[in-house]
Formats: sequence, C-alpha cells, structure tokens
Amino acid sequence: MIEAFDVCKSFRSGRGQVAALDHVSITIMKGRLFVVAGRSGSGKTTLLNCIGTLEKPETGRISCAGIDITHLSRRAAAKFRRKQTGFVFQSANLVSYLTVRENIALPLELNAWSNDARNRRVDALLDTVCLRGMGAAMPQELSGGETQRVAFARAIAHQPAILLADEPTASLDSATGRQLIQLMQALVRESACTLIAATHDPDLIAAASETLYLKDGRKVGQL
Amino acid sequence: MRFGFLIKTAWHYVRRSYRSTMVLGLMVFAAVGCLVFLSALAVGTNDAMIRNSVGLFSGHIAGVSLPSGTTPERLMVDGTAGVLIRNEAVANIGQPGGTRTETVRIIGVAPLEEKKLTALWKKTLAGRYLEPGQPEIYLSRPLAQNLRVSVGDGLQIKLESWPTATLFTVSGLYQTGVSQLDYGLAFCPAQVLPESGAAVSAAIFLKEGIAAEPVIKIYQQRFDSAHFLPWRKFMPDLKQLIDLNYVSMTIVMILVFGVVSLGIACAFVIFILKSMREFGILKAIGMRSSEIVMLIVLQVIMLTLTASLAGTAAGAGAVAWLSGTGIDLSSLTSHNPYFVVSGVIFPRLTPFSACLPAVMAVFFGALAAIWPSIFVIRKSAADILRSI
Repeated sequence: MIEAFDVCKSFRSGRGQVAALDHVSITIMKGRLFVVAGRSGSGKTTLLNCIGTLEKPETGRISCAGIDITHLSRRAAAKFRRKQTGFVFQSANLVSYLTVRENIALPLELNAWSNDARNRRVDALLDTVCLRGMGAAMPQELSGGETQRVAFARAIAHQPAILLADEPTASLDSATGRQLIQLMQALVRESACTLIAATHDPDLIAAASETLYLKDGRKVGQL
Repeated sequence: MRFGFLIKTAWHYVRRSYRSTMVLGLMVFAAVGCLVFLSALAVGTNDAMIRNSVGLFSGHIAGVSLPSGTTPERLMVDGTAGVLIRNEAVANIGQPGGTRTETVRIIGVAPLEEKKLTALWKKTLAGRYLEPGQPEIYLSRPLAQNLRVSVGDGLQIKLESWPTATLFTVSGLYQTGVSQLDYGLAFCPAQVLPESGAAVSAAIFLKEGIAAEPVIKIYQQRFDSAHFLPWRKFMPDLKQLIDLNYVSMTIVMILVFGVVSLGIACAFVIFILKSMREFGILKAIGMRSSEIVMLIVLQVIMLTLTASLAGTAAGAGAVAWLSGTGIDLSSLTSHNPYFVVSGVIFPRLTPFSACLPAVMAVFFGALAAIWPSIFVIRKSAADILRSI
C-alpha cells in the first residue's frame, strides 16, 4: 500500500513560487491501476516523482509498504528506485546509445542479475511486448509505439512493486496507446505490481481501478 | 559498484556516439601526435648540438694531466666508443725569414684515429688534413691570414724545449666558427712533435646514451693525478643552452597543450552534457550518483586514452620514420657554432616526451568531466529530466 499524507511541493518560476502539489493525500492499494488525471501543470508528474523518490516533498509524508520514503538518504532513495520502482516517461525514454536489449537489461544489471537469468528475462520481455527480433535495434530505429513498449519492458524487467508511468500514451496514436494500456492492465492482473500513471488519456482513465483528479496541485476528486 | 557493467556501458557510449567520438578523438589524436613529434624534435635538436660540439674535437670527456705514455687502450672502458691521446706544446711559429710570428698551442694528434672519431678534418677549406709521420701543420684560416701563409708554404716552429726551430709544411687550412679552435691553435702529427715528457691529454668519446659520470669515476680510480671533465663542465655554454631548450620546450608544451586542452575540455563538456537526459534516466532507474560519476569519468578516460595512444603511436611512427633519415636543417644552422659538423636533426623519443602529452590529455579530459559530474551529483533525476 502507498500512502501520501498532506504532501506539498512548490517550484520557483518566472511567475514566482508556484505550488505543484498543495496538501495532497492519497492511499493506493497494492495491485491496482491508479491513474492521476488532470491538465498540464496540475501536478501529476510532481506527484509521481515524489512517490518514486525522484524528488522530495517540502512537507507531508509518503510511505510505501509502511516505510517512510520521504526522508530517505540519496543512496537509500537510489536503492529504493532500483529495487522497488519502474519508470515509463512520456518521451525519450531510452538510453540512446544502448540497444533495445541493453536498455531492457539495464535494471537487471543494476540489480546484479546473473547473465543467464538476465538473458532469459530479456527474451521473455521482448516476447511480451511483441518485439522479438528487435533486440539489436537502436532506439532511434524504433517507432514511437515500439519505443514506449521497450520502455515498459525495461520498467517491469526487475519485477518492481511500483510502476510509475508519466503520460505513457501521450506520444502515441490511439491504437498503439490502447495496446500499451492492455499491456499495463495485463501486468497489474498477472503480478502484484501497483501501477500509477499520470495521464489525461480517456482510454487510460477508463482502464483505471481508481482515478485521482488534480487541478493546480490540489486534489479535486477521486473515483 | 558494478565496475564491469560501468565499463561496458561507457564503452557503448564512446563506440556508438560516432560523430562526437570521431571529432573529439581526432582532436586529441592530432594534439597528442603533434606534441609527441615536437618534443622528440626538441630532444633531437639537443642531441644534434651535443653531437656536433663534442664530435668536432673535444669528445664527451676531456682527460688532462695524464701521465706521459698513456695509451688509448688504458682509457677504453665499458661505454667508451673511442679514445684519442694528444700531446701539446706552446710554440712560436712564423715564415722562415719573416717578421710575423704567433705564439700558439700546437696539438700533436694521431691523424688517422682523429679522422675516425672527430670531424675537424671535415672543416678543411683548403689543402688537406694531416698525414701520419709527415712534418706538416694544419692551421685555422684566421691564423694563416695573420701569418700570411697558405697551403704548401713552410713554417718555422720554435718550441720552448727545443734548441732549434724546425720547418713544417702547411698541409691545410680549416675554419670551424668556434673561436676556441679557430684562434691560437695549430695541429701536427704527434710523431713529429718532439717528446717533451710533459703530461698528455685525452679526448674520450662515449657510446650513444652513456652518461659521462660513471666513466669518469672509473678513470679517477685508475689515474690519481689526472683530471677528467665531462662536456657539461668544459662547455658550460652548451649545457646552459640545452637546459634552456628543455625548459622552453616544457613551457611551450604546457602552454600549447593548455590552450589545446581548453578546447578539448570544452568539447568534452558538450560531449558529456549531450547525454544529460540519459544520466537523468539512469539516475531515475536507480543508478547512484557515484556510479554515474564513474561512468562519466570512464567515458572520458576511454576516449582520451584511446585517442592519446593512437596519437602517441602516430607521433612515435613519424619519429621512427624520420630518425633514420633525419631532418636536414643545414640552411638554418650554417652559421651556428653548435651545428658546425651537420645540421641534420634526428628526432628522438624519451619516456618523458612520449608519455607527457598522453598523460596531459587524459588529465585535462578527466578535469573536463568534473563540472558535468558535479551537475549530475547535485541535481535530482527529476530536475535533470525537467531541464533537458
């Protein structure tokens, strides 16, 4: 279970101090597809980043399986991300100088999987995302949909407890977007992974177990 | 830390960033290659000055006050290429019946051996060098002009220890441009210079790369009363010039490489910063800051090391190619007393000149990695991904 309590985060910009998250509290149960919806600038990405320890909230507390992750040291936060989380970003997700196979294997390398186990896992993931035979391709040779599927495969490679997806379908056409949503749904169904996605894609919102609506950093609804 | 994984990832980056790697690698390659060659050329220039100066007459070690009857064999030790024994006397010389006389030091030499080891005979302007056993004298042109004699003329020589004057024939005239040899000296075969019983001197020639000091130590144990001086002592002007050359070469290398390195460093910063998003992604998926810094440093070191080694090999190749034929700079050295014999320079690599440019390239490259590394350490993954 992931709990965020009274989380605040602001940024300094040309318009002065802007509140990205304003006293947001949520509870996400394990194994759910949780969607954070809202317009651009509503604080969706910031909430995902805070849950994923990519940035620290100014006030409030976030816990994951009972462990407070708001006050982790940099080293401990890196370890948490490496072991417990997977990320899918909106675009330019992949490391451009690594092949598809090497990109998917990255979290496995970081988690010190053996060569054999790594190769087996990467082969299985390439099958899962229907990219068998594309392992040697470079990211720039892939279409937008293929890129997101590789990013998805990389994000789930080490079987994380939490998958964070920031507008995963935003750069895709609707058909490819739907394929990715199906993959995500299958992942949630088949594993105990909690998937938290920031989006304003109606298809993804429709597929969600729960949806949180944000506006100007404030929680305006939860379905 | 998974060092193997970091090395592999760094190598992928260097290998697959084709254009950046090529451009940056070419810069480092050219800079290192040129500096290796330039430093080898500077070492070769110093070698040429030493070779010219000691090879003209004096040898690498001058032995003085050696007991009369000392043979070259007694002075041949490990590291010596040859020894010339010379005796000398002060004499008044002048044309028979003439009014002009000069007081000079006459050096008795072994002509055939001298021709093998020294180059004075190559500076002959008129006539020829001495022949063994002949009552001949070999004069500098300025001295001959003062005495108003030329090749084939007779010269009366009156030594202090000799009761009467003896007639010699002028065999040849020389000019070196070195004042110590062109004024107040004359040469004749040792056999025709009367034995005075006085001490003799020696010119000792060493093999390439042999230091004078250990050889002098051996001589000092053998000859109590004699003195031995390395060329650095009896040619302080040459020693100073060579020291000056080394200092100025080092300063020039540091300045040139400093400027080149600044360009290389800037290019490296761009090379690293262009992958900042990738570093953000790596940080987001759990790579520690220390591992990312290590990755950046490895990328820089791999590129500079590969390019530097290639540059050093290319520079060394050029040196090896030219060390056989040499570079003829005679037109630039013809009036220089330190190049009296030959203006051909043979570039030579020393461990210092071979390694310094590569070491500097790697050092400045690693230095260039500091700023992007600090940037990656201080920024959170979210900040990096947001800022790119």
